[in-house]
Parts: sequence; C-alpha cells; structure tokens
Amino acid sequence: MTFVHQNGVKALDGVSLTIEKHELVGIVGENGAGKTTLVRHINGLLRPTSGSVLIDGADARGTSVAKLSRKIGIAFQNPDHQLFSESVEHEITFALKNFGFDDALIEQRLNWALDFFGLKEYHKSSPLILSGGEKKRLTLASILAWDPEVVVLDEPTVGQDAIQKAKLLEIARTLHSAGKTIIIVSHDVEFLWSLQPRLVVMKRGRVVEDGPCAVVMQERELLEDARVSQPQLVALYESLSRRPASPFQDVSQALSWVSGERR
Amino acid sequence: MYWLASGLLYRRVVSPFTKLDPRIKLLIAIEFFVLSLLASSVIGVAIIIASIVAVAAFARSLRRVGRTVAFSLIFATFIFVLNLWIGLGLLRSLTFALRFIAIIGSTSIFFITTSPDELEQIMKWMRIPRDVVFAFVTAVRFIPVVMLDAFQIMDAQKSRGLELEKGGLLSRVRNLIPVLIPLVVNSVIRSGELAEAMESRGYGSTPKPTSLYGMRLRWYDKAVLVLSLAVFVLALYIYHFYTFPF
Repeated sequence: MTFVHQNGVKALDGVSLTIEKHELVGIVGENGAGKTTLVRHINGLLRPTSGSVLIDGADARGTSVAKLSRKIGIAFQNPDHQLFSESVEHEITFALKNFGFDDALIEQRLNWALDFFGLKEYHKSSPLILSGGEKKRLTLASILAWDPEVVVLDEPTVGQDAIQKAKLLEIARTLHSAGKTIIIVSHDVEFLWSLQPRLVVMKRGRVVEDGPCAVVMQERELLEDARVSQPQLVALYESLSRRPASPFQDVSQALSWVSGERR
Repeated sequence: MYWLASGLLYRRVVSPFTKLDPRIKLLIAIEFFVLSLLASSVIGVAIIIASIVAVAAFARSLRRVGRTVAFSLIFATFIFVLNLWIGLGLLRSLTFALRFIAIIGSTSIFFITTSPDELEQIMKWMRIPRDVVFAFVTAVRFIPVVMLDAFQIMDAQKSRGLELEKGGLLSRVRNLIPVLIPLVVNSVIRSGELAEAMESRGYGSTPKPTSLYGMRLRWYDKAVLVLSLAVFVLALYIYHFYTFPF
C-alpha cells in the first residue's frame, strides 16, 4: 500500500506486510521512515492512498476507527495527548463506555487494569498529577482494559527510566504470552532486543528488512543505512568475533550466555 | 478539517505582493476593509470581492484565500437567511452576506501573505509594548503546533472509541471535552516550558533589545503605496457619489 500526505509527501511507498495472530513484531527505522504512519493505518486513523489494509482478511476501508479500535488498541507515544478525565478510574473506563460495555464488565475490567498496571492506589487521583512512568502505564491500562486482540505500542520507552522500562518489558512479555498480537514501534533497540520480536526495518516509507530480531540486528550495513543502531550485545559480539579466540560461535550463543549470567 | 485549518496558516510564498513592506500590505487590507463597510449595493461589494480575488491571484495565494472564504460561506449564508427572515429584502440581505465575505477576504489576504516576523515588526512600529507583541506573535506562531496537537489528541481519543461526529448537537459538543482538556493542558505546559526556555536565553535581560531586521520602504513599496491610495480615494469618490443599479 501507499500513503501520500496532503502536502504531497509520500510517507508509505509500496509497503506490503502480513502480521499473524499472536505475533510479536518490532518496527524500527529513522525519524520520518513511516513507522507511525504505518501503524495508524491498522485502526483506520489513516486510509491508504492506494492499496488496502486487511484485518482478519476483510478490507478495513468501510469500517470506522471506533469499530476497528475494538480489536486493535493503539497506545500513542505521548500520554498527555489522551489523559483528560478527573480520575484514573474514569480514564480507564472511558473507552469501555464508548464501546458499550455493561456496568458489571466495566467494574471487572477496571479492577483488572488497576491491578495489572499497579495503579490501584491512584484510582481516585487525577491522571495529571501522576509521574511520567505512571502516566505511561495508565495510557496502557486505558487501552488494555477493553481487551483488544492486537496491541500497538508507539515508542513505549520514550522518557522512561530503567525501572519503568523493565516494567514495560514485563507487561509486553505477559501480554504476548497471554496470546495478544503485539506491535511495537521503537527507536530503543535494547528494549526490542530483550523481547526478540520479528523485526521490520523501515526506510523512507519502505520495508527494507523483515526477519527474526537476532538475525536482522546483525546486518550492520543495512541498519546503519536505515539509521538504526545495533544493540550493545551484538556490537560486542561482532568486535569479539573479529579476534582470533572468540568465545562464541554466533550471536545467539552470546545471547544465551549473557542471559545465563544474568540469572 | 486539516484542509480548513491549513487555509488559516501562514506559508511562505514568493510573489511581488508578499515581498511588499508589511505596512503596505496592512494598508491595502485596511482599504479593502473600509470599502467593504462603505459599499451598500450588491454590485459595489461584488466589485470589491473581485478586486480582492485579483490581489489574491497576484499574491499567488488565491487557493488559500479561497479556502478561508469558502469557510466563511457558512456564516455568510446564515447572515443572508437571518436578514431575509427579519424582512430586509433580497438585495440588502445579499449585500450584507457579500460584505461579510469581502471583510473575511480582505483580512485573510493580509494574514496569509504576512509572516509572524513581519507582524512583529508592524506591531513594534506601532509602538505596542514588547511583551504584548511577543505574546501575540508567539500565539500566532504556535497555531500550527496547537493544531498538530489537536489532531494527535483526536487520533488518540478516536482510537479509544470516541466518535466525534456521532449524535446531536449537544452530544457532539460533549464529545469535544476529551479533546479540549488535553489540548489546554498541553498548551499550558508548553507555555511554561517556553517561558523558562526564553528566560534561559536571556529574554528580558535588556529593556531595549536590538532587531535583526528592520522595515524600509523601497521605491517599489512607495509606488504601490501611491497607487493603492489613489485607487482607494477614487473608489471612495465613486461609492459616495454614484448609485449602482442594485
């Protein structure tokens, strides 16, 4: 599919991508590569100029954003662009009311979200007084509360400290093992490396590489060309492998060694 | 929505008109404005609208002025219907509606062809206090930023099932609350950050700061000044002494 902005800039240029159910996909690429534009097509916020978006095999063209969003939850980068309610619990239940959930289910989903995202103690507080990390978790809570099948996280780690990042990593892992399809747009290669998703590399509106994270992250020249840095571990492995007595045969061996050391 | 909003923003276009001294552009806009108020017949206002269109074409901004005018058509129709309803007659109602369009056209021609920097220079030339000028120009300069914020907020809320166009008038207004609150909050946060950033870069350290650019009338500006004043006086004369058939 192709998408051309109103000012004539071609943001997506012949992108063809299939994401299966329960997949964990990371999308990387330089600023302006078209990553966010691509994910905005998934729930119909943007419609392709040519080509089509198929959700469960059906063309999304005639389906409203609200209807598509019931299936696909997108957590945007900046929590301040969505938080508006007088309390955390109202923020979480906002979408549930929009989607017409009954009161009992709203109550149940609210309690789950407050528990899962560690927000119980703030449930009556204003979202605006929360810290950056808490706001980020509230944004996720307000989306996961309606239990979408697909979760899209746009730059989830921006402005998050190490502890918050670790929490986000844990959340992503839990959601994926619970059977959700997860799509993560990020510049944070270390975060993606920890999740080992299928990795899609974008450059100037095109998909230039698509494959397992451990394999794609070794393609130094391609990544440099797309202005994506390699994870430190891969860079370390590469410099070690240039020495005669390298302790590892390949990067996955190095990865399992590091994981073992951490444990 | 974007189509409409982009009609209100300044975009640099190079044309003989945009190169004029901003004071001359302001004068031309004021002349159009005054003539629009004075014209009391359909033909009279139509001539002014045609002149505005000609100037907009000369300024290579016809499409953008057209967008603003297209938006004002909604209000012009309202004015026409209201006047007709209170019994002012077809011609007078039409004159009022066209006059509104002429006024919008004359002001939009100025704002579309004048950059925020030029606005700042004009206001300083009028000896308006610096802080007031800065606040005004910053507000103008931040319109695109706030607009972008508004679109992103709308996207975020639509992704949470909010349907902005759903329901009657009251519920549509209510639907705007989830958009307006984050928009105001973000703008307040941004203004605080901007104030700190400005102070960190020395804003207010000297009571009379120097200007990088100044305004100077060139022969070209003077020629347009004389020509526009001559046409304006002639138009005033015609509108005062000549009665158009309708």
